[in-house]
Amino acid sequence: MLKKPLKTAFMQGFIRCHDCGSLLKSDPKCLCPVCGHHVSARKPNSVQYTLALIISALCLYIPANIFPIMSVTQLGVAETHTIVGGIVALIQSDMVPIALLVLIASILVPLMKLLGLSLLLLCVHYRWQVNARLFTRLYRVIAFVGRWSMLDIFMISILVALVDLRGVAQVIAGPAATAFAGVVVLTMLAAKSFDPRLIWDHQLSYE
Amino acid sequence: MSLALSLAPLAYVACPECDLLLNPVVPEPGDKAYCPRCGYLLQRPRKRSIERTLALSLTGLILIVPANLLPMVGIKIFGNSQDGNLWTGVSALFKEDMWAVAVLVLLSSVLLPLVNLGLAFLIGFHLFMHKANNQLARWMHWYEHLNEWAMLEVYALGIIVACVKLAGMAELRFGLGLFAFIGLLIVNAMLSNELDCYFFWQRIAQLTKK
Repeated sequence: MLKKPLKTAFMQGFIRCHDCGSLLKSDPKCLCPVCGHHVSARKPNSVQYTLALIISALCLYIPANIFPIMSVTQLGVAETHTIVGGIVALIQSDMVPIALLVLIASILVPLMKLLGLSLLLLCVHYRWQVNARLFTRLYRVIAFVGRWSMLDIFMISILVALVDLRGVAQVIAGPAATAFAGVVVLTMLAAKSFDPRLIWDHQLSYE
Repeated sequence: MSLALSLAPLAYVACPECDLLLNPVVPEPGDKAYCPRCGYLLQRPRKRSIERTLALSLTGLILIVPANLLPMVGIKIFGNSQDGNLWTGVSALFKEDMWAVAVLVLLSSVLLPLVNLGLAFLIGFHLFMHKANNQLARWMHWYEHLNEWAMLEVYALGIIVACVKLAGMAELRFGLGLFAFIGLLIVNAMLSNELDCYFFWQRIAQLTKK
């Protein structure tokens, strides 16, 4: 249905409004007539913001994995779990599918987001000639999976509320929960501030 | 259908993810239009998008009340029972001085889903009544940006994992709140499927021009 590809809108002197999608004549510092927001050809300082957010997330990723994310007291015996420890405990009690789910949501997804966004930034900064379609797809996956990392945080909030029998059975959230929540929020913001159009801008051929 | 046809055809559109300049197409409801270069889903028109948005957001606003107030999951350990809903998790985290996590959970499981449903209802209502409002574009802007941060479906997965973990050590009870929550989840998923952002922005542009 779509006709043959033209050049990018920016090269032809158009800017797409980030919010409402209306196409406007290139004019820096103008406001979109439809939604009233500032328009710019690309998200301003996209690379810098994304890099800063990734570095902050990386800093929080270390305490998130070292410190205990929750401590479980059963019959007076307290036991602290890190993120990895919780997964090991699930495997030991023969709940492999759930363990796999938590492994994906709280270890693989944040790691993949940090590595993937770094790869995208490197690609933009060094103007690599890559399969841009594939890299855009990588960006889409990163942007989509981000929120699912909150699984661990929600699970802890439910456990903390339900298992609250002082001395006998109690679940207390640990310091890693805050750090991990920070990682999730920062990587989500990083994915949001990255502009995938930058990948395409430096490609010499559009294959 | 007459409404979609009466829209003035735009000269060009640009792909938001690769900035390719494209001739706009008007796909049939149910069809999809992808960017030929990067594969971005440009348009997915729906039948009666405005009416369905209005109906679904109203349903969601009704369901969110029992989902928040009635107990969702209860457990029984050593004779002591404890009920939990969306709020008890937040307040328990607050009590343990984990206020950052508590605020995040509060926002993503209670407040933002509510705000999003409210915004969808407001936008749907104004578009349905053909009522212009200079806040329409702002509401739509916030709806699109906050959608990502309302994480009901992730919370549902959290409930499942927590229940599996607890099943070994305690007796579980499921309350009415859980069923309301599941209903809310389904309505929310249907709402984000039926709300056609591209079409909504076009209608908002039309209304504000008048």
